[in-house]
Amino acid sequence: MPDASVRKNVKSAGRVGRWLGRNWALLFLLLEVVVFSALGTRFLSLENLQNIFVACTVVLLLGMGETFVIITGGIDLSVGFVMGFGAVICAKFMVLLQAAGLPQGASIPLAALICLLIGLVPGLVNGTLVARLKVPPFLATFGMYGVAYGVSEIISKNTPISGLPSAAGVIGNEYLLYIVPRKMVSFLIRPQNITRPEMRSMLALIPIIVVIAFIFVGIFAFLLRRTRFGRHTYAIGGSIDSALRAGINVPSHLTRIYMISSFFASLSGVLYVLKYVTGRADAGSARMLDAVVAVVIGGASLYGGTGAVKGTIIGALIIATLETGMVNLSIPYHNRYIVIGGILVVAVLIDQFFPELVGRRE
Amino acid sequence: MTQHSKARVLLFLGERWSAFFLLLMLVVFSLGAPHFFAFKNFSNILYFSTLYVLLAAGETFVIITGGIDLSVGFVMGFVNVSAAIIMRNLHAAGHPQAVSMLIGAAVGLVLGVIPGLINGLLVARLRVPPFIATLGTYGIANGVALNMCEGFPIYFLPPRAREIGNSFLAYLIPGKSFSFFHRPQNLDAGDLRALTGILPATVIVTALILIIFAFILGRTKFGRHTYAIGGSMDAAIRAGINVPGHLVRIYIISSMFAAVAGVLYVFRAGIGNFTTMSSSYELFAIAAVVIGGASLMGGKGSIGGTVIGILILMTLETGLNITGIPSFYRYIATGLILIAAVVIDQLTPERRTLSA
Repeated sequence: MPDASVRKNVKSAGRVGRWLGRNWALLFLLLEVVVFSALGTRFLSLENLQNIFVACTVVLLLGMGETFVIITGGIDLSVGFVMGFGAVICAKFMVLLQAAGLPQGASIPLAALICLLIGLVPGLVNGTLVARLKVPPFLATFGMYGVAYGVSEIISKNTPISGLPSAAGVIGNEYLLYIVPRKMVSFLIRPQNITRPEMRSMLALIPIIVVIAFIFVGIFAFLLRRTRFGRHTYAIGGSIDSALRAGINVPSHLTRIYMISSFFASLSGVLYVLKYVTGRADAGSARMLDAVVAVVIGGASLYGGTGAVKGTIIGALIIATLETGMVNLSIPYHNRYIVIGGILVVAVLIDQFFPELVGRRE
Repeated sequence: MTQHSKARVLLFLGERWSAFFLLLMLVVFSLGAPHFFAFKNFSNILYFSTLYVLLAAGETFVIITGGIDLSVGFVMGFVNVSAAIIMRNLHAAGHPQAVSMLIGAAVGLVLGVIPGLINGLLVARLRVPPFIATLGTYGIANGVALNMCEGFPIYFLPPRAREIGNSFLAYLIPGKSFSFFHRPQNLDAGDLRALTGILPATVIVTALILIIFAFILGRTKFGRHTYAIGGSMDAAIRAGINVPGHLVRIYIISSMFAAVAGVLYVFRAGIGNFTTMSSSYELFAIAAVVIGGASLMGGKGSIGGTVIGILILMTLETGLNITGIPSFYRYIATGLILIAAVVIDQLTPERRTLSA
């Protein structure tokens, strides 16, 4: 009898260990929140938590595209500068369309749409290079990194684009819901003509920019998890040879994957324009590696075949919470590089040493 | 027969396209850009190449083994800042300039071993993918450097440091004087303008180091093992090579090169400075290695090729500057040359298939 109970203990300990191994990133995120709430001032306020979500949108969106690419065993180094390219294109078209006399309500969405369409081009080029010409992804997308940056500097004439329609900033900085306690609830429209104390007690809920980001994240998470497209993506990452033998059209699938990645990059370019009402070529330059880090912390392997949207969301939140918390505690910003570098290495070590914990076989 | 000789020509061109491209670029800029074909300009190209070529040489070793080292740019900044702080403090404490410079440089080089050791252990012993391991040290080296200098350049170094870093092997005033090592003093304005330095000291140091490591890579057992590991890790293990030990040494070499670049930077600039996020040293180093004929799959590459790769990138930048073309065209050109390099490599027939 003792034998069985020991075995049972070991078994349940194994189960706990497995759960911990699989969800260590989530636990780390919670730990971050607990530590910063204990040490910081008003860290756990509604306002601050919403700020964390706003802060994570760029890394999350770039990371979403990167998730698809990394699952296929590739990498996309161009996302940061494609985001800058998207921001510049979007801002430029807003200015042009406004100059052409279009009302703001038309010029803003039209410019965003044009930007998202043009934003597919870098992905098409990357995908063609990788899938048809067999250029290693690291080099193909690094080439695009240079080209996208150079082209957006030329378009923006090396200065941030200004003179955008004034309404552009509204979408990027407003909330879905405004509640003035005991007085009014308002959707989308910031309440006017309220007194100062009412203004102070007003709750602004759910930033629009976060809603837009999560709508696209949701759509593509569904695409990855529940559709044939998603299954083929994992199959290619697992083994290109068997994917080919299974009759998957690998080249065209890969091309589409790189287009998804550059779509997400230009989408975050559009959101950048909506938030800051300007377009800059270097809008996302430092964010490319953060995106890769988020995906890897989220459990993806650079060898392909694994990764999930849920993990990438947690990875992006870990980075955003860290940044927000460090600002809250007035820790110098550059310490984030040390912490993120450390987390990254730990993430991979956990993955290497406890494959059975993470639910992966050698 | 004709097909065979055609393939031979293709092979010849394909293997040397980067050297031809460099020559072509030099000719085009010399003809098209005023003042490009000048001794001072060529000297400048070499002078500005030194830091990049050191980083790229270390990267060459890593890439030949099939790995990648993203940390080199920030390791350079880390060593740069640490060496500068030590020099400044010793100088402020009243030690002779030579002592503070030597100790600063030596400590910088020793510190430069640490990131490489960590990278190597992570990659070789703990089997972390090189991209991730070196991306981790990339962040940590950057953060540590920024912490040490608090985001500001480090001034008040021994003034001799800058003089040494900007000295030349010989000085020439055409038709008047020629001297080794010692810069002529008390010149009038006309002579000062005519004064030409021949071979910057930093270029000589860099060239010596490169020759030594080109020899190690091309002619020693260590070099052959490096290629063997990149060609096939399994075969290397079966051939009895101590692969983990070798890989650790390779990553230490890479970060030592970055450390040398960091120390040279201090001597050249006379200040200590961290590496900015946007400088992308590591990516230009990788680009040069690939343009020089290496493959990211490992097993291919050479120091000579890497030097040509860096010279292509730096000639391009200098040429664009002189013709007044905005510097961001450099990014486009680098990207296009890089992609062209890989596509040419794909289209070049393999030497093996030819001889068979």
